[in-house]
Amino acid sequence: MRVEYINPFVEAAFNVLKEVLNDDIKRGELYLKSTSQPVLGVAAIVGLTGDVEGRVLFDMKKETALSVASEMNAEQLDEMNDLAKATISELANMITGQAVTKLHDLGFKFDLTPPAIITGENMEVSNSGVEALIVPVELKNGKIEINVAVRERT
Amino acid sequence: MSTIGNEIQQKETEKVESIDYKMVTFSLSGKDYGIDIMKVKEISKAKRFTFVPNAEPYVRGVYNLRGDIISMIDLRVLFNLPAQRPDEDSFEDMIILRLDDYQIGIIVDEIDKVVGINSETIQPPHPIFGDINIKFIKGVVENENRLYLILDVEKILGDKTEETGERLRPQLVAAAGTAKGGTGKAEPGGEIDYSFIVESLETLGGFFVSDLNKEWIKKRFTDWKKQRTEKKEEVQLQEQSEAELFLRPFYSSNTGTFWSDNYRDALKERLSGLPEQGNLLVWNPGCGEGYETYSLAVTLREVYPSVQLKVWAHDKDLLHISTAPNLIFHENIISESLAEYTVEGKNGLQFNKSIRDSILFEYHNVLHSNPFPEVDIIFARDILSFHPQAEQNKLILEFNEKLKPGGFLVIGEHEVLKHQDFEDISSSKIRVYRKIQR
Amino acid sequence: MKTKADFPSINERKPDGLREDGGAYRVLIVDDSMFVTKQISQILTSEGFEVVGSASDGEQGVEKYKELYPNVDLVTMDITMPKMDGVAALEKILEFDKNARIVMISALGKQDLVKKSLMIGAKNYIVKPLDRAKVLERIMMSLK
Repeated sequence: MRVEYINPFVEAAFNVLKEVLNDDIKRGELYLKSTSQPVLGVAAIVGLTGDVEGRVLFDMKKETALSVASEMNAEQLDEMNDLAKATISELANMITGQAVTKLHDLGFKFDLTPPAIITGENMEVSNSGVEALIVPVELKNGKIEINVAVRERT
Repeated sequence: MSTIGNEIQQKETEKVESIDYKMVTFSLSGKDYGIDIMKVKEISKAKRFTFVPNAEPYVRGVYNLRGDIISMIDLRVLFNLPAQRPDEDSFEDMIILRLDDYQIGIIVDEIDKVVGINSETIQPPHPIFGDINIKFIKGVVENENRLYLILDVEKILGDKTEETGERLRPQLVAAAGTAKGGTGKAEPGGEIDYSFIVESLETLGGFFVSDLNKEWIKKRFTDWKKQRTEKKEEVQLQEQSEAELFLRPFYSSNTGTFWSDNYRDALKERLSGLPEQGNLLVWNPGCGEGYETYSLAVTLREVYPSVQLKVWAHDKDLLHISTAPNLIFHENIISESLAEYTVEGKNGLQFNKSIRDSILFEYHNVLHSNPFPEVDIIFARDILSFHPQAEQNKLILEFNEKLKPGGFLVIGEHEVLKHQDFEDISSSKIRVYRKIQR
Repeated sequence: MKTKADFPSINERKPDGLREDGGAYRVLIVDDSMFVTKQISQILTSEGFEVVGSASDGEQGVEKYKELYPNVDLVTMDITMPKMDGVAALEKILEFDKNARIVMISALGKQDLVKKSLMIGAKNYIVKPLDRAKVLERIMMSLK
């Protein structure tokens, strides 16, 4: 992934999560994966277009998703109902939106598509042979792996 | 009656509760064994022991444990138990034992855990419990529904002979002696020394010896050994800094810095002959901080002024590559000819927009899929040698696929590629190959 | 002698959502996210606003506006929505009622779409995450 794209995603993730979760969150070390498959159970996907083609995926365990959604709604949510899903979608949207805005300021034209949420064991996402940049963020109740797989539109 | 029963029960519980003997447990052929933890120095996983000639079959070889040469006994072979033949590349469980002043390693099927027991609960051995020679068993003990045969390590490996005992120690000492080269025979000692260096380069230097660099490593080893023996210093590499010292002359010239004019001229001479118009696509895996990439971009711009230059520069070390796109530096680390392509900024020099726009720095592992088109030049100095053999092969395959026929592949000055699809067109300074047009 | 009644308590602030005539400002929320709709609704109703309707895409939003008109004072409009996005809906509502007061809500800031919206006639914009103070401030500014 182009070096200049990395910081905007890392910063957006950190800023948004810190703001919506009133929590001590920690950034983990970035690394590369040969496949971009989501692995934890709940994934919010936001498509990316413009100077690149690809997507950002927010990968987390169901418990983490519920914990985050509960906190963002200031009410206890015990299952991935419509509200919980809408909340995680919105989180993905905000983080990607902020990253895209920063990229715009740097001169890169990115655009994003409305987010989608997928849940379940053994999810298969297409284009899984594409390399992904993983930005792990540690929360109080689990972690979110931000999984970015984009390539330059040559 | 019941009171007596209770008393016995209580005594049993008391016995169990006072732990005064701890053992490391492991399995051999499905049975559980234990060894007094006081005799265990460490446990580990290992592979690839160096074979020692003229040793008993149960001596698997010797192992380099951070500089100490330790003989490795395969307990399964020693006890004539069936053992799976390990793959070349699989790790095996081993226990390093310390007896008096002597260290030895044993290979087992699977190390389990440390179990604490009361030594009073150890029963004397009975032949029915084991399939190995009873005299090697110190006793048996039951713990949490498992039966452990406690091995008498001294008996197995000690100097004392019994009527039917076997003397293993002297043989092992001899084997270890051969390994250290202490018997005075230079040849076998030398080979062992060399193979240890090869292993250390891997573990301490991340450098993998293969056909690519074997010639150079052998020569370097000879020089190194001579130097170190003269200075009465240890030949073996004990830590990372020594591995780095050993490898220092390996690196191609101008590694990690902007290129000298001499080097650029030598390169220009080798890389001419491509089309002067259209796109010139370049792949630079392992670009590091970018000094090489910028130097290359300028050099190519000078050889092919009319092309659309595009360089894909990759590195999997984020720290190094993250500074590359906006690299700022002082004029005294760059030659005048290169400086012509720079502009002055607040904090120092930067390359001009045209050069910077022609380079795409990506945090990327080239072993993953490479989604860009075929290129005219691949510039990969000293990167192949820092990947294990399997990955080296994979990379060479990838280079072959990604390079256009007639294109150039530049590798490390001390690397050598023998491949049917590549023609060697190297000069004294530049190791370069041309992909054969068929 | 002056009595207490002559000195209205300084601590009593009129909630933002109330108009001079005592009635509440009426708001239409157009957003495809259940979560965002809930958030905006909570912020507004806690300040005395009245949420008179909500829609989950641009098309629905335009229809609802036409239905509610003239009993709607403000629209919050999400930019990215399926079927018809916020910018198109904005245009359509302004065609229908050139005095419509519309505030754009977006995950993107300083973006072409936000700028375009303002040029077309949106009164203001708010970037997510939604901050209570920011939301109220921008909405109050748009109501002037």
